[in-house]
Amino acid sequence: MTVVNPAVIEATAQATTRPASARFRHLFAHRDLLLAWTLRTIRARYKQSVIGGLWAVLQPTASTAIFSLVFTYFVAIDTGNIPYIVFSYVAMVPWTLFTSSIADMVDSLVANMNLVSKIYFPREILPISAMLARLLDFAIALALLILLMVYYRIPFLSFNLLYLPLILGIQIALALGLGFMGAALNVFYRDVKHLIMLGLQIWLYASPIIYPVTKVPAWLRPYYFLNPMSGVIEAYRAILLSQQAPGSYLISAGAISLVVLVIGYYFFKQVEFQFADVV
Amino acid sequence: MAAIQFDHVTKRYRIGQWLPTIREALGRFGGAAPDQYHVAVNDVSFAIEPGQSLGVIGPNGAGKTTILKLLSGVTYPTTGKLNINGRFSALIELGAGFHPDLSGRENIYLNGTILGMRRAEIRERFDQIVEFSGISAFLDTPVKRYSSGMYARLGFAIAAHVDPDVLIVDEVLAVGDYAFQTKCYARMNELRAKGTALIFVSHNMDAVRRVCDRGLVMYRGNNIFQGSAAEAVIAYSEAVRRAARAAQATVPTEGGLSERVMTFDAEIEKVTLFNDQHQPITVVQSGDAVTVGIEVKFHKPVQEPIFSFTIRTTDGRIVYDTTTRWQKIQTPNFVADERCYVEYSLDMPLLDGEYELGVDVIATDFSHYYDRLERAMGFWVKSSDGAQGLVDLEAKVRFEKFPLQEHRV
Repeated sequence: MTVVNPAVIEATAQATTRPASARFRHLFAHRDLLLAWTLRTIRARYKQSVIGGLWAVLQPTASTAIFSLVFTYFVAIDTGNIPYIVFSYVAMVPWTLFTSSIADMVDSLVANMNLVSKIYFPREILPISAMLARLLDFAIALALLILLMVYYRIPFLSFNLLYLPLILGIQIALALGLGFMGAALNVFYRDVKHLIMLGLQIWLYASPIIYPVTKVPAWLRPYYFLNPMSGVIEAYRAILLSQQAPGSYLISAGAISLVVLVIGYYFFKQVEFQFADVV
Repeated sequence: MAAIQFDHVTKRYRIGQWLPTIREALGRFGGAAPDQYHVAVNDVSFAIEPGQSLGVIGPNGAGKTTILKLLSGVTYPTTGKLNINGRFSALIELGAGFHPDLSGRENIYLNGTILGMRRAEIRERFDQIVEFSGISAFLDTPVKRYSSGMYARLGFAIAAHVDPDVLIVDEVLAVGDYAFQTKCYARMNELRAKGTALIFVSHNMDAVRRVCDRGLVMYRGNNIFQGSAAEAVIAYSEAVRRAARAAQATVPTEGGLSERVMTFDAEIEKVTLFNDQHQPITVVQSGDAVTVGIEVKFHKPVQEPIFSFTIRTTDGRIVYDTTTRWQKIQTPNFVADERCYVEYSLDMPLLDGEYELGVDVIATDFSHYYDRLERAMGFWVKSSDGAQGLVDLEAKVRFEKFPLQEHRV
């Protein structure tokens, strides 16, 4: 077996004909594994680390600090009566969740190939728990956001906070869809990870994170909101900074994210049976 | 309903990178070589009933691991069908999915759920798992500080408590001490009694014979033999010998390569064990007189060859070994196509157990083998006088009871 370099086999129809309902039942039967693997990922991330969970806030905080310095003192950006630091941190927290979860998901299969090639379990467990494990970081960073808003005396309590799970759900759907696709493709081409990391860097500037949407030229705005993350970030700002319900942009963001999730998951399940053969 | 059914299963891999690099892709337009395939498993069929155990043996690269991967659902057949009924537990690698930084306790839950157990089930069996593994004192120690033996013990303990319908064990009992191995065998038998079908892959022929009732011999992707475990072990030896012949190579043993070359200038055609009425037998009553008859054919001229004859235990220990040279027997020269018959007559004072006959034809200066059958055949010895061990030394017992003495200070 070591003489040849085992690679992928040609596709067999057999592996992919399981109906969708059976797939979900199968995944549901493994829900304890999903939980256990998520906990493992979280514990493993901060074992033998001095500041542990604080890394969760350091990442968005450092970015926010740099952008605040640049866009407050060097190139002043008008963010109304909200201090720039709060304005950008509100966006940086979900953005960090978005990028770090996608990066982890894309890596999740390749990093656990020894398991994938030896034991069968629904493979989507790995990317899904990579996503879930980042939610803890998000919660910690969100707690710091609250502290920041209290410090700057910005009111944030309103019934519009009830939109938070919806907005978060849309963001997770989008990340999962991209993560499924990225994780599967990364098994075949390791270039995918680098490509996605590059894409995420560019995506940061294509979303209203370090600047307000009002800076986007009016003619560009309809296209600008084809980016679901534009809608998601605007929605976070709406409910947290101005205590308003999100606008219609959240509907299109939700619809697009849902489509991405379905396509991503379908693609993942289509190529899943080849994972162990490729490694 | 069979627990496992393989129906003409073939697994093909494409050789080399599955994706062409840019250079190769450009070359392909220029008419480069088409894809090449490696057939890892070729048209293999077998079935196992609940409670049965099947040993899969064969040299490296024979397709054993691919069969396990197919069984565990990690990979899919290119053609053919396979059915597995019920929950299975695969031990392709002990402790797969253990995280080195997590404690033994955390890893029991993690590994257990990977193997398909619910959390509640693990909680229920937690104490049994810990007791079986014998690591209770180190439950809260990260497994990276475990010895490899502890690691394997914990891994086996978890997998063996999944209560699977099918248990797949790959070469894992090589680790761990004798006491733990014994425990593993006992647990496997216990599971089989409850109806678990067992698939056991090993290079350890003794273990295969101990654990399995049936054997399947793989060679270069083909299933070359199916039958009882004992027959399969001999078929495997035969396959190894034939391979050496095809390659005109050094004599391979299961453990590695021996130094002496096998040339096949002579060929051992037949090895038979006879009782004192000259009937072929495979079961010997301890102490009985037997003869071993060997027929050899020469393919090339050979000068004064040495014939040897060995009895081994199934785990490879030599019980008895003799050669015509040591017995100071002058053998003649042979020309091509000549044949000869060698007979060894002996009493068999061995005790209860399974043994193997090995036969060699060796060059007169011991420099190389003409032919070698390390396991020409297996036979059983039955004894009745209650002694245990290897050889019946026929101890005579005398017994005397001392009268009670008073002790004075």
